[in-house]
Amino acid sequence: MKVTLFATCIVDMFQGNVGKATVELLEKLGCEVEFPESQVCCGQPAYNSGYVKESKEAMKRMIETFSNAEYVVSPSGSCAFMFHEYPHIFEGDPVWEPKAKALAAKTYELTQFIVEVLKIEDVGARFEGNVTYHTSCHMTRLLAVKEPPMILLKNVKGLKFTELPGKEQCCGFGGTFSVKMAQISEQMVDEKVRHVEETGAQYLVGADAACLMNIGGRMDRLGKPVKVLHIAEVLNSR
Amino acid sequence: MAMKIGTEQFKERVENGIHDDFMRGAVASAQDGMSQKRRAATTEELGNWEDWRNHGEEIRQHVLEYLDYYLEQLSENVAKRGGNVFFAQTKEEANEYIRSVVQKKNAKKIVKSKSMVTEEISLNAMLEEEGCDVVETDLGEYILQLDDHDPPSHIVAPALHKNREQIRDVFEKKLGYTKSSNPEELCYQARVTLREKFLEADVGITGCNFAVAETGSFCLVTNEGNADLVTALPKTQITVMGMERLVPTFEEMEVLVSMLTRNAVGQKLTSYITVLTGPREELDVDGPEEFHLVIVDNGRSNILGGEFQSVLQCIRCAACINVCPVYRHIGGHSYGSIYPGPIGAVLTPLLGGYDDYKELPYASTLCGACTEVCPVKIPLHNLLHKHREVIVEKEGRAPVSEKLLMKAFGLGASSPALYKLGSKIAPAALNPFTSGDKISKGPGPLKAWTEIREFPAPNKERFRDWFKNRDKGDKNS
Amino acid sequence: MIGTIHNRDKFLNQIASQLNRPRISAPIERPTWKYQPQYEIYKDASQDELLEILKEHCKKIHTKIFTTDLAELSGVVNDVVAEYGGGSVVTWKDERFSKWGLDSLMKEKWPSENIDVFEWDYTLGEENVRQAEKANVGITISEITLAESGTVVLFSDKNKGRTVSFLPAASIMLIPKSTLVPRMTQAAVKMREIHQKTGHVASCINFITGPSNSADIELNLVVGVHGPIKATYIVINDL
Repeated sequence: MKVTLFATCIVDMFQGNVGKATVELLEKLGCEVEFPESQVCCGQPAYNSGYVKESKEAMKRMIETFSNAEYVVSPSGSCAFMFHEYPHIFEGDPVWEPKAKALAAKTYELTQFIVEVLKIEDVGARFEGNVTYHTSCHMTRLLAVKEPPMILLKNVKGLKFTELPGKEQCCGFGGTFSVKMAQISEQMVDEKVRHVEETGAQYLVGADAACLMNIGGRMDRLGKPVKVLHIAEVLNSR
Repeated sequence: MAMKIGTEQFKERVENGIHDDFMRGAVASAQDGMSQKRRAATTEELGNWEDWRNHGEEIRQHVLEYLDYYLEQLSENVAKRGGNVFFAQTKEEANEYIRSVVQKKNAKKIVKSKSMVTEEISLNAMLEEEGCDVVETDLGEYILQLDDHDPPSHIVAPALHKNREQIRDVFEKKLGYTKSSNPEELCYQARVTLREKFLEADVGITGCNFAVAETGSFCLVTNEGNADLVTALPKTQITVMGMERLVPTFEEMEVLVSMLTRNAVGQKLTSYITVLTGPREELDVDGPEEFHLVIVDNGRSNILGGEFQSVLQCIRCAACINVCPVYRHIGGHSYGSIYPGPIGAVLTPLLGGYDDYKELPYASTLCGACTEVCPVKIPLHNLLHKHREVIVEKEGRAPVSEKLLMKAFGLGASSPALYKLGSKIAPAALNPFTSGDKISKGPGPLKAWTEIREFPAPNKERFRDWFKNRDKGDKNS
Repeated sequence: MIGTIHNRDKFLNQIASQLNRPRISAPIERPTWKYQPQYEIYKDASQDELLEILKEHCKKIHTKIFTTDLAELSGVVNDVVAEYGGGSVVTWKDERFSKWGLDSLMKEKWPSENIDVFEWDYTLGEENVRQAEKANVGITISEITLAESGTVVLFSDKNKGRTVSFLPAASIMLIPKSTLVPRMTQAAVKMREIHQKTGHVASCINFITGPSNSADIELNLVVGVHGPIKATYIVINDL
């Protein structure tokens, strides 16, 4: 099966290891992975801040970039959801609305793709350690992908899972919220860090690079020993 | 009290909220408790909760679509039963009418049951100017009123931010109370004091949970029973309603009442749901002799027909407030409005303007928790986003530095070549700030981030370079 | 007497203009709703099953519930009033009390035991409210009873003062078993039917679920704020 990777700008620039793990994992599961060079950012940071006009140009670029793809897969629930928002954003636009719809229809978050399209629930991974999982808001609520990451983690050999208290609560990232409303964001991420500590887990795993960058960055600053991993890295370990 | 509370700027209010440890503890445990009760009474107990939400939404949307018709029908039916109806486009008109009723009755003693719309129009201030003794009879509101008009911080539990010791102190100072801070003893004191007030009041004033167009009725939802006494004992009753708070018939009223009580307090129904129609009947002994219904616009009609119309579907259950992670940490007063939380962040700027409230739409991570729970399916986080779009694109109120940054974003993100160049030079550009694999004191927009957290240093080899190089070589290396 | 309506046209015209269409005054058809989940709850429950649901729910609303045949009703009501400490009792003026055999209790036994009984009498005007205010126990009758939420529904009229159920310290509600319905849905349908048939709605219809309560102080539940502090339901087997 041919998969077109929508890596996201955070992964491209800051978290290459997540991109690599995603590619390797998909290949292990029998997919052929391509990465169109012309991909940019999905537009979410500007869009969510209210700069709709500015972000539309980026969106159009993305729509064109992935126009020939069969499946678009992203290791970020939030960015994958952004593609699903495109049809609303271009509503009433005779040229771009149909194209946006076509893109949304074939875009999947990584774990969703593995469970719902590849129909694989055990990726054959082995990972020794006590893990807790952050259910990111956009992926869980807006893209409505709740079960797939749980199913996949449950089948990882050696992995001990502890549920995160208050898991439905936002970590305080929220794109530009994290800097515009830094004082509030700090309180939110601190509560999240406290919950992570309560689990006693060695690893905090998530499926959204941005949330992980927020929680991880705060834990690092506070000197917490918990290691942050993207779910692709866990699923790719043997 | 008007809709606006306090005079501090948003940042200052938030700072005060964040440093109020008692309030934050109370809000967090209230949120956890109320959300758990709500879930039990909605998704868990009713297997078809989504059908309920869809029904709630279709009822509210239908009413808004035919609002003029239903209001006309309501007013006809109220008048038929001998009630007087006043349509007030502004809060001044509403207050003027109520003032004239109170003056005509030569009324001095007034009891009220909890009503957000009367807070919104500053009714109490006007009545006090008239020399009236106005008493709030909802226990939470009463506590706030006694405490020199401390503003409410939650639309269902207005005194959530106060602890029992603070309440005891207020009772001691204002009522000569001498007993303990035990809630039962405090409640008993309120019962005794307020019973007198009910019995001697000239006028009773209520809000309106839902009016029923077909019969000219309206209903009041409480647990304390205070609305019943406000409407049974005084000779004159004035009910003030936001113009959108109505339904076609008893059948739709029932659905929305069920949704309100389950979502607001996790109860199947509250202790008292009182459906009133007109003044007392000819030979009745209790109930008001005279009934006035004041229907208030106060900026609501400007919301109709536009992209924010769905906010008028709100039934004031506070479910969104009880799940909001931002409200959790800053509390109700930070919003600077009697309407806090996600619903407040959407509604307040619409009713009160962006001058005072332009920060509120940004006080959200757009996490969608509010939208997920709203029983009448208001897309709250989308509306918050819509506000941002209006603020940036129609109002042009965004800060210049941000505008420049976003312009650059638009340019960079839409051009693959520029994007690639930007991401390629990023490591070098950020090199002076980088130590090891992280940035602890970032420049420009990174500053606010790195005051709290580490920021990762850009990878020396971008993912795209790795992929390209790998493509050329052996895939399985 | 017909009431007054002020300022209506300007107000409604503004709404119509915001909605971008001419004003609608002619009756519109009530829509056929796409969703009707409320009818599903306890759809096929029998009266006995509804009674069990009601009893179960009473545990959650701080309300005692007894079930009795007509023959024992008088004894049960007497016991409950005794437990509430006697004092004075206020009741509606309702021929059902007599039909259910409560005359000797209310008109003979209680007065002989120094329990004052006041029967609502509209000809006495304000005196009714004074009596209700000083009464220890108020006794009313449920017209519709909602099993799901443990709710009694009271309709006011000249003989059935509203304050009988709010002002006394304790409240006893008599519930004919035949009045049990699944939930508020059926009550709303019935209220509409009554209105359509008679053109009239009682000036106060009260849905009461247990005693009054408040959680306004640190979210601690306190039972008994403005209305009754205690409540008892007595279900009468009338089927």
